[in-house]
Amino acid sequence: MSTPTRTRPQPAPDGTAAAGSAPAPTRSRTGRRRDRPAEPVFRGIVSSSEWRSPSVRIGLGLTQALLLVGLVVVALGPLLWLVKASITPTQDTLRDPMALFPSGVDWANLSTAWSSVHIDLHFANSMIVASGAWLVQIVVATTGGYALSILKPRYGPVLYWLVLSTLFVPAVVLLVPLYLTVLSPPLIGQSLINTFWAVWLPAGANAFNVLLAKRFFDNLPGEIFEAARIDGAGPFRVFWSVLLPMSRPILGVISVFAFVAAWKDFLWPLLVLPDPDMQPLSVRLPTLANSIELDILLAALMISALIPVVLFLIFQRTFLRTAGLGGAIKG
Amino acid sequence: MKSYRRTTVALAAAAAVAGLLAGCSGSSDQPGTGGPIAISVVSLKPGSEQSAFDAFEEQVRQFEAANPGIDVTTQEYEWTGPTFTAQLAGGTLPTVFTVPFTDGQGLIARGQLADISQYIEGFGYTDQFNPAILAAGQGTDGHIYGVPTAAYGVGLHYNRTLFTQAGLDPNKPPTSWDEVRSYAKQIADRTGQAGYAEMTQENTGGWMLTSLTYALGGRMQQVQGENAQATIDNPQAVQALNLLRDMRWTDNSMGSNFLYDWAGINQDFAAGKIGMYMGGSDVYESLAQQNNINPDDYGLSVLPLQPGGKAGLLGGGTLAAVNVRATPEQAEAGAKWIDFYYMSKFVRENAAVLDAQTKANADQPVGMPQLPIFNRATLDQYNQWISPFVNVPLDQMSSFTNGIFQQDLAGEPPAHAQEMYAVLDSVVQAVLTDPNANINQLLTTADAEVQTILDRG
Amino acid sequence: MTTWFRRGGFSTLLFLLPLIVIFGVFSWFPIVRAAVMSVQQTNLVTAPRFVGLDNFQTVFEDPLLWTAVQNTALFALIALVLGYPVPLVLAVIMSEVRRFRGVFTAIAYLPVVVPPVVAVLMWKVFYDARPEGVFNTMLGWVGLGPYQWLQSAGTAMPSLVIEATWAAAGGTVIIYLAALIAVPHELYEAAEVDGAGLWRKVWNVTMPQLRGVLLVTLILQIISTSQVFLEPFLFTGGGPANSTLTVLLLIYDYAFASSLGGDYGAATALSLMLAAFLAVMSAVYFWLTRTWSTS
Repeated sequence: MSTPTRTRPQPAPDGTAAAGSAPAPTRSRTGRRRDRPAEPVFRGIVSSSEWRSPSVRIGLGLTQALLLVGLVVVALGPLLWLVKASITPTQDTLRDPMALFPSGVDWANLSTAWSSVHIDLHFANSMIVASGAWLVQIVVATTGGYALSILKPRYGPVLYWLVLSTLFVPAVVLLVPLYLTVLSPPLIGQSLINTFWAVWLPAGANAFNVLLAKRFFDNLPGEIFEAARIDGAGPFRVFWSVLLPMSRPILGVISVFAFVAAWKDFLWPLLVLPDPDMQPLSVRLPTLANSIELDILLAALMISALIPVVLFLIFQRTFLRTAGLGGAIKG
Repeated sequence: MKSYRRTTVALAAAAAVAGLLAGCSGSSDQPGTGGPIAISVVSLKPGSEQSAFDAFEEQVRQFEAANPGIDVTTQEYEWTGPTFTAQLAGGTLPTVFTVPFTDGQGLIARGQLADISQYIEGFGYTDQFNPAILAAGQGTDGHIYGVPTAAYGVGLHYNRTLFTQAGLDPNKPPTSWDEVRSYAKQIADRTGQAGYAEMTQENTGGWMLTSLTYALGGRMQQVQGENAQATIDNPQAVQALNLLRDMRWTDNSMGSNFLYDWAGINQDFAAGKIGMYMGGSDVYESLAQQNNINPDDYGLSVLPLQPGGKAGLLGGGTLAAVNVRATPEQAEAGAKWIDFYYMSKFVRENAAVLDAQTKANADQPVGMPQLPIFNRATLDQYNQWISPFVNVPLDQMSSFTNGIFQQDLAGEPPAHAQEMYAVLDSVVQAVLTDPNANINQLLTTADAEVQTILDRG
Repeated sequence: MTTWFRRGGFSTLLFLLPLIVIFGVFSWFPIVRAAVMSVQQTNLVTAPRFVGLDNFQTVFEDPLLWTAVQNTALFALIALVLGYPVPLVLAVIMSEVRRFRGVFTAIAYLPVVVPPVVAVLMWKVFYDARPEGVFNTMLGWVGLGPYQWLQSAGTAMPSLVIEATWAAAGGTVIIYLAALIAVPHELYEAAEVDGAGLWRKVWNVTMPQLRGVLLVTLILQIISTSQVFLEPFLFTGGGPANSTLTVLLLIYDYAFASSLGGDYGAATALSLMLAAFLAVMSAVYFWLTRTWSTS
């Protein structure tokens, strides 16, 4: 059952899968892409000689300019509108949604949304939910990956197969039984409903993370572990002082996955966190949409979108690499 | 309230960790002997104004002061089918919660509500209830599992400002469905807003279609002994849907949103986007607390009932109930809360005054028209007690308060009402969104579908 | 080396503990439970009762099942028509951008990072069916509309798909872009030697090279659109008149919509049926990626 391990192009030792490493701008980062010989000029479909032909260059340039305009309008436009609408009084947005501040800017919307409708609280909940889910996933993926890849117990392959087989089971099957499990979890004897554990713990059961971690560890040079062993390091020491420091690239990828998934999740936290005071943004916003005024709602939406957008702009590389990697496995 | 919430968040994670580590043996729901009895109660709908929450917390403090052994925590709450099921299954319903009349019998039969007869009977007013209303919360054994706390009749809410703008007299709401239609058209034509709007989602579409059918003289179910027969495919339902279709497609007077749920239609009405809509007569409280309505806009009238025949006003109400998982001590404390918060004001002057005063001080609506859960005299007396504190525009609701007692009240369909409503939702939606919808066929199909549900028992 | 570690059986187990516990409780056990529940009647009040295939029969006899299946298929189909070629064209053009490609990818990817709930609530405002609605205003500039968007059985589903495509296309663009850049440039050079022009290179070199990834994204899209929930749940609640009721929404309704307690048996039965379909799709996907990555 090693087929699923070939689902993606082989990850390079630094964790950048060939599929994902390219789209991010890599111009000035020489030496980063050691798996690819340095190219003097990028080339794709268009050759350098074609590029020199004015008709191709103008045609292509025009197409690209059009594309850029199109992208700005379609992809960025709605978000820009949201920013505008978030500081526009309700009546203006209702009467003429495309006008630019016909009766002035209403900055108070933002503070009202943040404090009066408690976007702050739900933002904090989102952070708690995402951080905990992230931690659980990292722990499960690294310890599990380490044991399966380096420690290699005899029953390892069976276990690995069991983990991978869950990739075939869509999340929807788990919805009801997992809900009932969280209601009366084994061993604990108390419902996890209305505790963050109900979101954190199930997030850890992510086979893709284990797969990523194990395959990354598989590709680490074995001599390092051998050397550590000769120095007298035990399995815990090796894990903590040798493996983890070398695993930063893959930890970054898993982290982005984990954080983004937790931030976006809706149905599951809706089911297990009925207490409004514990709900993350994604769950709370639809409820609020029916009771707060439109301008406040739009301000709340803007604030909720702003944080991931800013995070994305800062950590673009990791995001896009993860997208190239994971776009292919989600679903 | 705000700082309270903040603290909750800050402590939640830590508590969760600690709880898990400690194995969580002692559930906080089970107080040790001698300690305070902890109960949780539902407070207000999500998104209510801060001052409304403040007033509620003030009442909690009053209750705790009067009952030193009881510790009350609050949880905001809005009854909707899916959230209620999830909470029911999840065991996260508070000790005291409320459900609509339609679900009382089903929940009692499934053993989901605690028997609180002995506690409620101790308060001394069980014999004063209107028997028909108390029945909604009684099991087949005659015991009380849910206390009727409020009863409503469906009324016609209208926006006085839009009436004026459309050249209509805001003191003369429509008195027939033909007038509703022509007023709606006039409002739509002259103001550009929806003249008449209708709820269609989360079972409200079926609820409102049933109301309209009742008002035209039809009924959706017939009960013979043990068996309930679906009678959805009746001439009045056809008439009701034809009326909606004419307003929607001939007059184009129903605006542009045909997927309203309860909260959504209230929001748009409060925002001045709707001329008239049908809804429970108690909705003003929500309009004020959640949607910040301008009181001058608001008008409430009785539904026009088709003269002759057996036209009736659909009424329903709310039951307060105690979680079946509560300990006897908690159930008793919960019953005391029900008495304190929901009931005693109707029978004791000082309770009525305190309740009204607290709410009025926090600028919360006092004096909403309601239907009697005991009898008319009791309600009249209550209204007199609180009259100094009334801050809702009662004169703008006079056509309801004057007319309601001349109308025949008809209860909601007895069997599987919510499930029937769910089926009817899509019927109403079809008529409002598809100009070619075949009304007779829709009703025939719905009738068969509901009959299947009823036969399942 | 491995033998040395293998001796530490206990510490190995300790490292595997989080994985075994978490997967055991929150994945393997619920999967088994789903299978069991599908042949039981469970209402959480009385003890579960074995009912054989009754739950499956209930689901099959539900007139809404076929509505839901058709709607889901329709969603998948429109999503394919809209969401499949657009990212490809975008990626091909973007792959030729020589400067500031990062700006292109960043903008294209931006909608993907907007939380889906935020995107849906925002688009719900855009889809305001009044002539003063956002989209209706803009279309009014060029003399179109006003359209009903979510308020009509005919246009509700396409409206949902448009939003879903907006929200997801950026991710697909990134995948295509990665594949495009991985096309060996020797192939283009060889084609040029044969005198191929720009279009012929696109058709004869680029497209064949992308065949693998195109197939994979196709399967992935089918898998993810069969599980669409958020859009119909938040936009329309399955309306108008069940025109956007999807399979997952029906599962949710079975389990959670009745205020008197859910039919968990029917919900899991339908889940399993959907899962069977998805498992076939996943198997195809794994088989494809395997042949693709080894070729």
